[in-house]
Amino acid sequence: MEEIIQIIAAFFCSIAFALLYNIRGKKAILAGFGGMIAWAIYIGIGIVYPHEMIQYFFAAVFVTWYSEFLAPILKTPVTVFLSPGIIPFVPGRGLYYTMSYALNGEVTLFTEMGLNTLGTAVSIAAGIMAASAVYRIVRGIARFNKRKRLT
Amino acid sequence: MRTKELISFVLDIGEQMLISGAEVNRVEDSITRMCSAYGAKRVNVLTITSSIVVTVKMLDGEVYTQTRRIRSYVTDLNKLDRLNNLSRFIVNHKPDLEEIEHEIEQIDLIGVYSTKKQYFIYALVASSFTVFFGGNVGDTIVSALVAMLLKWMISFIKKVDKNTVITNVFCSFVVGLVTIVTVNFGLGTNVDHIIIGNIMLLIPGLALTNAVKDIISGDTISGLLRLNEAFVIAVSIASGFGLATLLMGGLM
Repeated sequence: MEEIIQIIAAFFCSIAFALLYNIRGKKAILAGFGGMIAWAIYIGIGIVYPHEMIQYFFAAVFVTWYSEFLAPILKTPVTVFLSPGIIPFVPGRGLYYTMSYALNGEVTLFTEMGLNTLGTAVSIAAGIMAASAVYRIVRGIARFNKRKRLT
Repeated sequence: MRTKELISFVLDIGEQMLISGAEVNRVEDSITRMCSAYGAKRVNVLTITSSIVVTVKMLDGEVYTQTRRIRSYVTDLNKLDRLNNLSRFIVNHKPDLEEIEHEIEQIDLIGVYSTKKQYFIYALVASSFTVFFGGNVGDTIVSALVAMLLKWMISFIKKVDKNTVITNVFCSFVVGLVTIVTVNFGLGTNVDHIIIGNIMLLIPGLALTNAVKDIISGDTISGLLRLNEAFVIAVSIASGFGLATLLMGGLM
């Protein structure tokens, strides 16, 4: 039950950030679906293989493919779907707690939380980079094949 | 061809793209393409988060350099979308300078959502994150109201003082204070859940992720700058909330 509420909330988180970034209409709603499905994937992978960084990585991979797929159809930059879609995963909470431990002088908690936050950021970023590289290679091959068929 | 003015317009587009939230890569790429379309023999662009430098060598051997300093960002992906289309249009059709100028003015005219909608959006962000992190109904309502207060404070402070650190310390201090007081009055139950929803509006979580992305893709300087910025803002937010809990803890 809790998971379902979270998935629905992720939808609204992504839409809200899309609106905050001044994205309009259909694009904002599509961005919301990106965030929602990505969070469902995060939870789904958690059932099979509960490792936070792996979950973040594959969720980021999904959001990237989703955005790369939609961007040319709606003639818009990939960021329009990617930034709001990634929002539910972004380690805002971790970053806040890290700094608040640092200010309170709790060194052990600070290191633990800080490493976790940085790890999250790295796995999301790595997911995005890997996914867009793969997407470009696949698209390149598809185009090459199409051209070969035509000639 | 009035090359100087052309480069100035190209830089205007690049500058606006960077301010609206484009990656460093994309800005450099767009500037290079636009200059090459107008017959530049060689284009050297350096973009970091706070400045753009471009040196263009034209076919006749003339060399031009122009710089832009960027001081603040306002993420506006709708504008970025338009600018991106404009830069593609320029590369494909090579319009004359008057047309480019006209298009840039048109893009400047599209504004953001109206103030009323902005308040609603802030409330939506904060309340959906409060639910996301496990808040109950009371928490969500308080969180939405506090977010509206936050929006009002941000627009008020932006008129007086533009320093991000001061803005963040002050805003998070007031948000923390108001949240603790309302929870003590019995509206909402969990201070943490309410605060985390509002923190998401202030904290540069996306900037942190983008910084790491920049570093991985090879733009180390930009990435490190952004990383530092994110940490400084996070420290200022944490200290604002820290002050609020310290003060209220002493009173209660």
